[in-house]
Amino acid sequence: MNNLNCSGCGVGGGMSDVVLECVMPYIHDPRDRDAVSLVCRRWYELDAITRRHVTIALCYSTSPDRLQRRFKHLESLKMKGKPRAAMFFNLIPEDWGGFVTPWVNEIAESFNCLKSLHFRRMIVKDSDLELLASSRGRVLEVLKLDKCSGFSTDGLSHIGRSCRQLRTLFLEESGIAEKDGDWLHELATNNTVLQTLNFYMTDLTKVRLEDLELLAKNCRSLVSLKISDFELLELVGFFRSASAIEEFCGGSFNEPDQPGKYAAVIFPPKLCRLGLTYMEKNVMSIVFPFASLLKKLDLLYVLLGTEDHCVLVQRCPNLEVLETRNVIGDRGLEALAQSCKRLKRLRIERGADEQEMEDVDGRVSQRGLIALAQGCLEIEYIAVYVSDITNAALEHLGAYSKNLNDFRLVLLDQEHMITDLPLDNGVRALLSGCEKLQRFGLYLRPGGLSDVGLGYIGQYSRHVRWMILGSVGESDEGLLAFSTGCPSLQKLEMRACCFTESALARAALQLTSLRYLWVHGYRETSTGHRDLLTMVRPFWNIELIPSRKVPTVNNAGQNVFDDNPAHILAYYSLAGPRTDFPDTVKPLDPAKVVAA
Amino acid sequence: MSRATVELDFFGMSKENSSSSSKSKFLNRQRSFRDIQSAISKMNPELLKSVIASGSAASNKSTPDNGNQMSSNKSFSVPSTPKQELPPFPALPVYFPLPRLNLENPLETAPLTIFYNGTVAVFDVPQDKAENILKLAEKGISKTVVEPVADPRTDHQQKLLESLDGDLPIARRKSLQRFLEKRKER
Repeated sequence: MNNLNCSGCGVGGGMSDVVLECVMPYIHDPRDRDAVSLVCRRWYELDAITRRHVTIALCYSTSPDRLQRRFKHLESLKMKGKPRAAMFFNLIPEDWGGFVTPWVNEIAESFNCLKSLHFRRMIVKDSDLELLASSRGRVLEVLKLDKCSGFSTDGLSHIGRSCRQLRTLFLEESGIAEKDGDWLHELATNNTVLQTLNFYMTDLTKVRLEDLELLAKNCRSLVSLKISDFELLELVGFFRSASAIEEFCGGSFNEPDQPGKYAAVIFPPKLCRLGLTYMEKNVMSIVFPFASLLKKLDLLYVLLGTEDHCVLVQRCPNLEVLETRNVIGDRGLEALAQSCKRLKRLRIERGADEQEMEDVDGRVSQRGLIALAQGCLEIEYIAVYVSDITNAALEHLGAYSKNLNDFRLVLLDQEHMITDLPLDNGVRALLSGCEKLQRFGLYLRPGGLSDVGLGYIGQYSRHVRWMILGSVGESDEGLLAFSTGCPSLQKLEMRACCFTESALARAALQLTSLRYLWVHGYRETSTGHRDLLTMVRPFWNIELIPSRKVPTVNNAGQNVFDDNPAHILAYYSLAGPRTDFPDTVKPLDPAKVVAA
Repeated sequence: MSRATVELDFFGMSKENSSSSSKSKFLNRQRSFRDIQSAISKMNPELLKSVIASGSAASNKSTPDNGNQMSSNKSFSVPSTPKQELPPFPALPVYFPLPRLNLENPLETAPLTIFYNGTVAVFDVPQDKAENILKLAEKGISKTVVEPVADPRTDHQQKLLESLDGDLPIARRKSLQRFLEKRKER
């Protein structure tokens, strides 16, 4: 039956609800869903009833109540709290905000269909986990506490005890207060369907071997296990039982002087994603038997030199994802370019600064990037810390890396002289050549990118939705030129920049898609925060973390106080200003600023 | 001492000493040199360079009348290699009196002695300038010292951007930071 209640349903009488209800479940992309919901009221309602997943990029942009009123039947929810800078020490105050409590309270009451929850960079309490377990424990299938903090293993015990349907428990990089290892015992005893368990990078040390072995026995579908430091020799039995395992990260090599012992470690047959903490050159050969099966290799926490990296990657022709430190060096990248033609994601983190701690060859420069561009044509994601760079390297990426959707480059400050700065032309070539680019990061130094170059970023970054820019440009003019472009830019992070608050405010107004702005370190002026008033507008929350001294330890090992310049955070919100500010964070109050 | 002296506990040494109101107090020379070195290592090198450079122009003929002083035209350097060229200064004995304000004549200048990087500098400064210098040293901010600064925050940011490190130090992820620290212990 044609139901014509809907106005604006198009030429020829519109579509029946039945048809629409059949089609809707196949529409997943959130931007498509957004478009659908704007057609007319009826389509809005149908979208609201049928939408399965919502991602709230910043938890303060809306409220639990608003979410509940629109999407009652939500099955999966992801939200983020603290600014990304919280992944570094001492930038964002620990109690900044992003509390899950109001959300968990609403979930306990209303969201009857919710099966999957992902909290990222938020503050979680044991009481939240207890409530979640008691109210949703029976149906919860996925729980991800991703870089969260504020809870203990007691909270996890509640989850282990009550969430018998849990397929995924993800805790990577969370700050967890460890009381004991009982939580794992609860999980291993009560669950038979677990597929993914991840407590990598959590410093949990009281996990018991018997509970891991019990888990392997009870959860025959266990496919991915990432754990904290745990002697690998003790896991021989575990690996024998957990025959379905495809991914393993963690472990430890506490007997590096007895490499022969590690020959006893036989890995499960389907293992294709691997990361072994503290692995050294003399035990590296234990991965050789199945290296050709490896799709993902995590070398971030190994103790290998440049040559070792070359030897290893040459044995991994099917590698799709590699994460390592810059000890891989240009030579390692050349080996990668030759051997790993299927490489899709490459992340090169910054190793130790002290010369003695890393290989002398352990530096990445234009040489490695050019080889990479020419050799790994399928590359989609590159994040790299370089010691030297040229425009030519970026031009090569623009020419060859046609699938690149996420590119981040940080220029380390060890070298005083960089071969080829500013990078204006290279950046232009990369942005215009890599048409699929959606995420872009560039962290340089004064002189690294001129105002013209910054203007190029604005001009040529058509589809980029997220950017982090550090130490780019020369003056406010560069920022203003930049902000006339970037048509798709939704989220902008800036650090160590030379722009005034006046320019920042004007840029925020000019960037048509901008909904989130974070700035740390800018040129302070005597008019200061008054200039931020330029960007005051409805639904736009502006928050400040005034400059403060942060206790830290310097290179000489002394306790010192570091100057931490002011942060500006501004974002669109339907929920009005926050009501849970800690002392270190202040909302921008136009009345107070004008009076000052 | 014949003229009024500004006695300021430049490096906070008096906190470590038992209370003594003795005007001229000679500490154990070795210990205080080590303490000076560590205190100076916390100070911003740019600051010290500018202070010493401006001081050397102003006070190349000052001679404090203490006990074992050297005459001003004899150059003397502590045996360690200075990193940059600096005009030679007379060496002075280590002398750390307790804090005491000079109330008699605030504008009158008095010697301010700084040990840095194997060299010694003496400046004749009035009390308020000396206090400025001490405050700066405490904060460790890079600033030009001699004139009062009109907009300290702008200059701070300028220096922050122009210093050799370029800008804010590039942060490292917590997980990686912890790994690198644990690795040192292995």
